[in-house]
Amino acid sequence: MWAALGLIILLILLSIYGAFIGTERAQKLVNSLPISVYWLAFIFILIEGITVFRRLVRVPALFLIHCGCILVLAGAMCGSEAGHRLQSQLFGIDKVRTGQMAIYEGESENLVTPEDGEQIKELPFSIKLKDFRLEHYKPEYLRVQSRDGEGWKVPVEVGTEFSLGEDLGTVTILRTFENFKIRIEGEKRKITDEPESGYNPALEVQIKYPEGNKETRYVFERFPGHMHQEDKLLMSYHKIISDYVSELEIIKDGKVVAAKNIEVNHPLYYGGYHFYQHSYDAEAGQYTVLMVTSDTGLGLVYAGYAMLCIGVFWHMWLKGIYARIKLKSE
Amino acid sequence: MEIKYTVQGLLIYAAMGAYVLAFATTLLRFRRMGQTLYLFGFITAVLSFGYRWYDVRHVPLQNLFEVFLCLGMIYPVSIFCHRVLRVGGGCGDMLIGAIVLFPAGFVFNAEPQRLPPALQCRLFVPHVAVYAASYIFMAKATFQAIYQLAGKSTNPDEKLLGPEEATYRMIYAGFPLLTLGLVLGSWWGKVAWGDYWGWDPKELWSLASWLVYVGYFHFRYMFGKKHPRINSIWAITGMAVIIITLLWVNLSKLFAGLHSYAM
Repeated sequence: MWAALGLIILLILLSIYGAFIGTERAQKLVNSLPISVYWLAFIFILIEGITVFRRLVRVPALFLIHCGCILVLAGAMCGSEAGHRLQSQLFGIDKVRTGQMAIYEGESENLVTPEDGEQIKELPFSIKLKDFRLEHYKPEYLRVQSRDGEGWKVPVEVGTEFSLGEDLGTVTILRTFENFKIRIEGEKRKITDEPESGYNPALEVQIKYPEGNKETRYVFERFPGHMHQEDKLLMSYHKIISDYVSELEIIKDGKVVAAKNIEVNHPLYYGGYHFYQHSYDAEAGQYTVLMVTSDTGLGLVYAGYAMLCIGVFWHMWLKGIYARIKLKSE
Repeated sequence: MEIKYTVQGLLIYAAMGAYVLAFATTLLRFRRMGQTLYLFGFITAVLSFGYRWYDVRHVPLQNLFEVFLCLGMIYPVSIFCHRVLRVGGGCGDMLIGAIVLFPAGFVFNAEPQRLPPALQCRLFVPHVAVYAASYIFMAKATFQAIYQLAGKSTNPDEKLLGPEEATYRMIYAGFPLLTLGLVLGSWWGKVAWGDYWGWDPKELWSLASWLVYVGYFHFRYMFGKKHPRINSIWAITGMAVIIITLLWVNLSKLFAGLHSYAM
């Protein structure tokens, strides 16, 4: 029991120290040899506790809690880098623990760049990116600010006139662009929207001043403007991303064996790997970056979580509720 | 520190005022009036939370402002603890209600925000709500532990548990929620970020807070009767680590990590 308490206190201190040194160094620390020995000692103490203290076997909830902790630790060890190396050496199963893959729209890819800097690895199937798109909250809005600090949020609705008060006049959004381009044709410049070739959202805004004069401005989402000395209003265009969507197909032996539109919180699972929406081509939206993670040890961890939760609620809540009901019925 | 001259702010200040008045009147032994004010404070806190919900169009548990707004609805836990678990401290609960609403009223920004993609998950609400509930139980446990250290005892007429036993019962009630919060967070991490445990500062502090209570149970089992004061110190340490998990990790630049959006 003393040893268990000692290990718990040590893990508290280790967690706090890990929080101070940052995620990357903490990850290295917990995967280092001395800490691996510590994890093994923790599992050993838990197993020993179950065998020595009969109460931990007699009380099923306590048994579940302690077994749950063992499974979580064992699952985490199986899923670690060392666990993957061991799996490769013992059983010849060579899986990428975690890595990334970039796929262009319309193309297939089966190469994964592992995160640990090892050689690029090949998956036994390919992933095709049918389409990648960003989704935005509606309505988008134009933020207008006057020189004296007064501000307005103008919903992006083409053709609707929005009043800024008697002193400043009105603004009207005339046109929206997905990919704003200027083309020079002869001596004229032509403003076009070419959504297929890139991503540069913009608004064409008309300002009508109280004196009657009009001004047209282009406001860009990705390039916030600045206020010139003669300007009365500062404008910025805001689109808030609601989701990133990659339409994927898994291709094995030339056949589509699975398909899913993956989003944040909705990964694709196939062949012992989870595929997550990780990043994208912010310039032109032409490719997506997926994070690939192996599922080795995950089942053990989830089983451990389930046992831990069932055990804790059974022991601390359900037993009390049952005793209360029994007392009342008597 | 800023005063919110909005309907939202008004509701928060009204709830805070009611809680403080409830605390004061209960101390002055006007218990019935104290209870009425406490109930009024709770209703106002619910209205404030509901108003925020209507305003942002999603369950308002996205940032610290909204979490503290939620924590302000302490009344049902207080009543449950008194009537079912036989744990007193209702007067202290009124103070806890006012204390947790203070940062929502004066410190945190109330600008409505859209949910970023990572927070659009069915696990978001249960994860945060379960943690919030567990924190209320642990806060009550801390008050009882302070009573125990201060050598105070309960009124025998009220048939309530003594402070040490009450601390234990509060932690006993809150610990399953703390465990569930940790597990749901880990599961969500796997679904959203690809890993169920990323050794992020917030994760590490929340693990530390869970472990402090694990240590409390083991220590109390070993030396429960011999060292009741040390049991109370474990309970207070647990709350200190929870406060760091909830506040310092998000507000300090020292702990940059995946949870930085929750400000």
